[in-house]
Amino acid sequence: MSQKKGDIIIGLRDVGVRYKRRGGLFRRPEYFQALEGVTFDIYRGETLGIVGRNGAGKSTLLRVVAGIIRPDDGEIVNSGVTVSLLALQAGFDPELSGRDNAIMSGMLMGYTRKQVEARSSDITEFSELGSFMDEPVKTYSSGMRARLGFSVAVFMTPDVLLLDEVLSVGDKEFRKKAEYEMMKKIHSDQTVLLVSHSEQQVRRVCDRVIELEKGVRS
Amino acid sequence: MNNNPSLQTDNEDRAAPEEAFQWAWGAMSAHHWEQAARRWATLRVVYSDHAPVWIQAGVSLRHLGRYDQAATLLREARHRFPDRPGGWIDGAEVELERSDHEEADRLLHEARIRFRDEPPVWLRSADLAWARGDVDTALRYNQHARDSFPDKPGGYVQYAEFAMAGGDWEAAGERWTRVRERFPALPMGYRRAAEAEERLGRHRAARRLRLAEEYGMDWLSELEDTEREVTAPVMPPRRRDWRSFVDLVWTKARLNLKSEANRNHLRYMWWVIDPLLYMLVFYIVFGMLMQRGGEGYVAYLLTGLVPFQWFAKTIQHTSNSIIQGKGLMHQVRISPLFFPLVGIVQNTGKQLLVFLMLGLFLVFYGLPPTLHWVAILPVVLLQLLLMVVVSCAVAMLAPFVRDIINLVPTGIQFTMFVSGIFYTLDRIPEQWRSLFFLNPVANILHQYRLILVENQWPDWSSMWWVTLGCLLALAVIVLLYRRLESIFPRVVIE
Repeated sequence: MSQKKGDIIIGLRDVGVRYKRRGGLFRRPEYFQALEGVTFDIYRGETLGIVGRNGAGKSTLLRVVAGIIRPDDGEIVNSGVTVSLLALQAGFDPELSGRDNAIMSGMLMGYTRKQVEARSSDITEFSELGSFMDEPVKTYSSGMRARLGFSVAVFMTPDVLLLDEVLSVGDKEFRKKAEYEMMKKIHSDQTVLLVSHSEQQVRRVCDRVIELEKGVRS
Repeated sequence: MNNNPSLQTDNEDRAAPEEAFQWAWGAMSAHHWEQAARRWATLRVVYSDHAPVWIQAGVSLRHLGRYDQAATLLREARHRFPDRPGGWIDGAEVELERSDHEEADRLLHEARIRFRDEPPVWLRSADLAWARGDVDTALRYNQHARDSFPDKPGGYVQYAEFAMAGGDWEAAGERWTRVRERFPALPMGYRRAAEAEERLGRHRAARRLRLAEEYGMDWLSELEDTEREVTAPVMPPRRRDWRSFVDLVWTKARLNLKSEANRNHLRYMWWVIDPLLYMLVFYIVFGMLMQRGGEGYVAYLLTGLVPFQWFAKTIQHTSNSIIQGKGLMHQVRISPLFFPLVGIVQNTGKQLLVFLMLGLFLVFYGLPPTLHWVAILPVVLLQLLLMVVVSCAVAMLAPFVRDIINLVPTGIQFTMFVSGIFYTLDRIPEQWRSLFFLNPVANILHQYRLILVENQWPDWSSMWWVTLGCLLALAVIVLLYRRLESIFPRVVIE
C-alpha cells in the first residue's frame, strides 16, 4: 500500500441505500430512499466535507463509508484502509468507572486492549477527570461524560476518520480544547470526512465539499 | 503604510488635551479620513502648539490624496516641532506616495541623522529604495531595522512584504514564519502568509494558516510536530482478528458482570445467595413438605433444574440482544455475533458459582464427589456449545421477525417440560425414549444426572452426536451471520 498523498483510497460508485419504512408479512413494504446514485472518491490526506439539511442522508452516507451498512445499489471500493466513525461514548455503561468505559469504548472502536491501555494516561490527562476516572460514570455530569468520550475518541487514529457533527462537546472551556484538538487532527495528513449542517464550518476547514440533497449529490 | 495611530511616533505626554484629540483619533481609526482631516483642522485653531494637529492632519490628507495640502502641513510641523520625527517620516511618506523621490530622499536623509532610534525612519528609507528599484539598499535599511529593533515587528513584516512584492512566494512564506515566531499575536503573519501559500497553489496550507490565526501559534507548531513525529499513528487493525474479538467479548462480559454487581448493595454476594435460596425452596417444598418422588428426588430435581436454569436464563437474556445493540451497531463496526456471545459468557460466569453451590448441596445431601465428576467438564462445555447455537440463532432471527421474542418464554417452558426435569426417565415408554433424546437439552440433562446422581460415566456416544449436530448448526449460523452482518444495522431500526 503506497502512502502517497492524493491517491484514491475509497471510491463510491452509484451508491444507493433505502430503508424499509413499514410493511411486513401481510402488507406491501414501503421503502424510503435515503441515498441515490452517490458517486465520489476520497483521496488520501484530504479533508472532505459533506453538507446537506437534516435528513439529506449525510449520516447514512458516513455509515456506508464506515462499512456499517452495505449499500443496496452500487458499490464501495476500499483500497485497504481502516475507516472508523468517531464514536463518542460508544458503549458507555453508567455503572462502570471512567477507566473501564474508556477501555471498552476504545476496544469497540476496533483497537486492541493493549493499544487502548497504552493511551490510558493520555486519555486521563486530556479529559481532565483526574481521580474521577475511577468513579462510576453515573456520578459524572454530562459535560464530564462528554469529555471522557471525546478523549477516548481523539487518541484513536484510523486511516480515514469520519466525523459526524462532533465539534460541540462538553462545557465551553472543554469545547474550545476539543475544537483545538480536532482542528489539529483535521489539518494533519489524516484523511477526514466531515459531516455538518453548518456549511460555514465545513467551508472553513475542508479541501472539498460535497452537497447532498434528499439523498442525491447535488 | 504607517496609518495606524497607535504606531505614531509622537507621544503626547505633556499637557495634551487627550480627550479633545480623541475626537479626531476616533475618526482616523475608523478610516474616516475626510472627517478626521476636518476635525484636526478644527482642533488646530485651538491647539496649534500641539504636534498632532499638524502631523495627523497631514496623515489624514495623505490618505485623501491631497498631497500638496498634506506636504504643507507637515512642512509646518517640521518647522514648529523639530524634535518630532513625525514631520519627517510622514512627510517622506507623502513624497513617496506622490513619487517625488528626490524630496523623500532629502527628508529621510535628514531623519536618519536626527532620529536614528526611530524604526519608521529606516523602514521608510527601505521603502524609498525599493520604490526606486534599488533592492540592495532597501534590504540594507531593512536589515538595519531588524537588527536594531528586534522587538518591533515592522522590519520583519517589511522583509516579508518585499518577498511578496518580488513574487518570491517561497521566501515570503519563510519570512512570514519568522514574523509569526517573533510576534505570534500579529494577525498579518497568518493572513499574508496564507496569501503566499494560496499563490503557490497550496490551499490546504493556506487554510491551515487562517485557522492558526484563530487557534494560535502553538496550535500550528503542535500540528507540525505531530506531523513530523507521527509516522506510525495508532491504527486499528483493518478487521478485528478472532483473538481481539474474543478479548472484546470477554472484556465486555467481565465488565457487564462488574456493572451488574455494582447495582446492588451486596454486590457479588447475590450470585451465591440467589442459587442458594433457589435450591432451598426446592428442598423445602419437595424434600420436606411434599415428601414426593421418593428417595433422592430433590437431588434428581436440582441436577436437572440448575443446568436448565442456566440454559433458560441465557436464551432469555440473549434473544433480544442484537435489537438492543442497535445504538452501538450504528456507532461502530462490530460483528452482531458480539451481542449474544457477551450474554452467554456473562451468564456462564455467574453459573460457575451456581454449579459450585450445587456441588456443595449434593455433598451435604449425601452424594459425595466421585471420580466421575471429572466428566462434568465436557458436559458443561457441550451445553455451552448448544447455548451458543440456540442463542445466536434466536438473536439472529429476532430482528427480522420481532414476534419471535414473544415466543421465547413459551419456548423455554415447552423445553422444560420435554426435557424430563420433573420426571424420571422410566416414566417415558420405551418406544418414545429415542425421540425424547433427540431433544439435545434432555440429552445433556440426562448426562448430568448420570454423573452426579448415579455416579456413572456419561453416555459418550450420544454426547458425540449432540456435539456433531451443534457444530453443523454452528457452521450454518456463523455463515449466516457473515452474510447478514451489514444488514443487521438497518433491520434493527426498521
